[in-house]
Amino acid sequence: MSAPPVGTIEATEVWKRFRSDDRPSYLQDQLARARDRVRGRSRPSYRWALREIDLRAAPGESWALVGANGAGKSTLLKILSRVMYPTAGEVRVAGRVGALIEVRAGISPLLTGRENVFLTGSIMGLKRRDVAKRFDEIVTFAELEHAIDRQVKYYSSGMQMRLGFGVAAFLEPDVLLVDEVLAVGDAIFQQRCLDRIRTVLAEGATLMFVSHDLAAVEASCANGVWIHNGVIQAMGPVRDVLAAYRAAVEGEAADSRPDIEGLLKVRDVHASAPDGGLPSTGGPLSVSFSLHAEQRHRAWVYLGVSEGAATPIFLINPGRETTLEPGETQVQCEVQSLPLPSGRYYLWGGIYENWTNGNELIGWQPLTHFDVYGPELDAAPRAVVRLSPLHVESSWEIGQAA
Amino acid sequence: MGAVLEGASVGQAGQALVDQASAAAVRESVRVPAPQSDAPRREILFRRRVSLRHAIRELWHFRELIVTLAERDLRVRYKQAVLGVAWAVITPVVMMLAFTLVFTKVTNFSKYSPGVPYVLFSYIGLVPWTFFSTCMQAGGLSLVSNVGLLNKLYCPREVFPIAAIIDAMFDALIASLVLLVLFPIEGFAPKVEVYYLPLLLIPLMAFTLGVTLTVSAVLVYMRDLRLLLPLIVQMGLFVTPVIYPPSVLTTSEPVLVAWSVANPLVPVLDGLRRTILEGLAPQWIPYLAGTASSLLILLGGFILFKRLETGIADVA
Repeated sequence: MSAPPVGTIEATEVWKRFRSDDRPSYLQDQLARARDRVRGRSRPSYRWALREIDLRAAPGESWALVGANGAGKSTLLKILSRVMYPTAGEVRVAGRVGALIEVRAGISPLLTGRENVFLTGSIMGLKRRDVAKRFDEIVTFAELEHAIDRQVKYYSSGMQMRLGFGVAAFLEPDVLLVDEVLAVGDAIFQQRCLDRIRTVLAEGATLMFVSHDLAAVEASCANGVWIHNGVIQAMGPVRDVLAAYRAAVEGEAADSRPDIEGLLKVRDVHASAPDGGLPSTGGPLSVSFSLHAEQRHRAWVYLGVSEGAATPIFLINPGRETTLEPGETQVQCEVQSLPLPSGRYYLWGGIYENWTNGNELIGWQPLTHFDVYGPELDAAPRAVVRLSPLHVESSWEIGQAA
Repeated sequence: MGAVLEGASVGQAGQALVDQASAAAVRESVRVPAPQSDAPRREILFRRRVSLRHAIRELWHFRELIVTLAERDLRVRYKQAVLGVAWAVITPVVMMLAFTLVFTKVTNFSKYSPGVPYVLFSYIGLVPWTFFSTCMQAGGLSLVSNVGLLNKLYCPREVFPIAAIIDAMFDALIASLVLLVLFPIEGFAPKVEVYYLPLLLIPLMAFTLGVTLTVSAVLVYMRDLRLLLPLIVQMGLFVTPVIYPPSVLTTSEPVLVAWSVANPLVPVLDGLRRTILEGLAPQWIPYLAGTASSLLILLGGFILFKRLETGIADVA
């Protein structure tokens, strides 16, 4: 078998199982286990963390790994970085691996920033002089010019993050594994990290990116893999995979509460164009539902539209308090111009007793979903993270200045 | 609203339905079928093959990492300590003074090695013993304490215990420098047979490495063993002829050989005294028995380590 080109990631039929009894690693526990086994009382029980993972990434490709918590994303990343061994199957990763996994974990707090840079470098398999070549860049990126000779234990957590990220991302990795590192760090730093990831990609490295920030993932990766319960559900162009993932997750979120009941009952939720058809981008959206109240309530009604998550793209409310008499109340709402591109959206709602901080009459929850017809969402430039998918009309004129 | 507009809106709705259907088709196209079986096929099960040649070549490839790790631990240790490098000297010297006080006043071992000052006798035993026990403790904990690094990037795991051993070697070297002072103070000159030293270092290093590798790997799986380590070290001091000559316990050669097999430090320490202080050759049969045993322990420890290595990230 010839060696694959540098930067290749290959996982063939990878399975991984963990012991599922949660006994800690102490001598007494090992003895108890051994005793149980001898008496034939209990066989060790396992659970599969990964099942039949087949993955092939060519040099220079960028792959996003998405899935719910505990789906096996981090386990897969650990196996790809060869830290963890698969129970079955074969993993081949050619070239130098840079791992942005638990960025701060590999840093020795007692050493200075400078010493840590060289230490991480030699773990990545770099020679001292190669690290020295990149040293200034790392320091500049991490903004540690004045602190590089200070012990890392005196660093703020942000400084440690920057150092860890800088070291892994600047030491010319052939394969860059990124696991949910952007969650920490402020917005500006996140943006710079994404920029750096893009540069590393442009230099020809292969990227494997785990994140729950789907927008960031979409901005950085061309391909996607969706893992659920240790099994690959979808694989392909990132937009399609994310669409499949969102549809599943959102379906789950919307289906999870069939009865919308609190102190009030919500019934007959409809969201459509006023004529009952599908709403279109820039067109009107009509929402109607009925509320059933047992007693008189003074209520604030809120509606929000999201891609599935509880965080809405936009929120609307009548702007005034509503008095609900006992019995049925019909609510009608019209959005005159829907600023959403083509896709599936979810209508969330909540009803509260007071402005902003009242008791919940109906907790914030998905009410229904609707599809919007219209132009596709414009692609963002690489590494630019868009917060919400909004479609805004604009007209341009670009010409030579007179 | 005019009829034309209404018609347009219906048309759009029709188109939208098609659009959503094609979107669903795209979602389906990237779907991957679920695995057919509940468990992997037997043929692809991961089996650990320990190839000695490959392991050593890989270790050589990571030699710079070993140096860096050893340097890191040294820096950390001496940066924290006010007295710095002096710590390497203080431990064996203080122990030597204590043992000298006890064993020249309470009992007298001098009769077993006439003409050899006990100060030198005990110090020459204490330096390699301190080396060994430091390796077992620091090296034994090296995997557990480097979990952060272990879980990030791949390297052959034995670099961590080996780096700890290199640190202990550094300390032992500094501690040995004290002998340059002790010999003149005692008015005693080392014998020319000191040239046997390299031979004696073979079982010492092999035994130390074998034990350290074993302890470090097993400790990952049984964390509470670390509490047992100090006790083992203390007991070890008494079952090893560190502060007494082996002839105190036995003069029978078969017993000495058996002791050397069980504890390869026995011929090492005895050999050091015989060559450096008494100007004799090592006792060859116990030496060879101890060396053979230590090499077996090294081999066994290394294989055990390589086998346990695969699960470290799972339990750490």
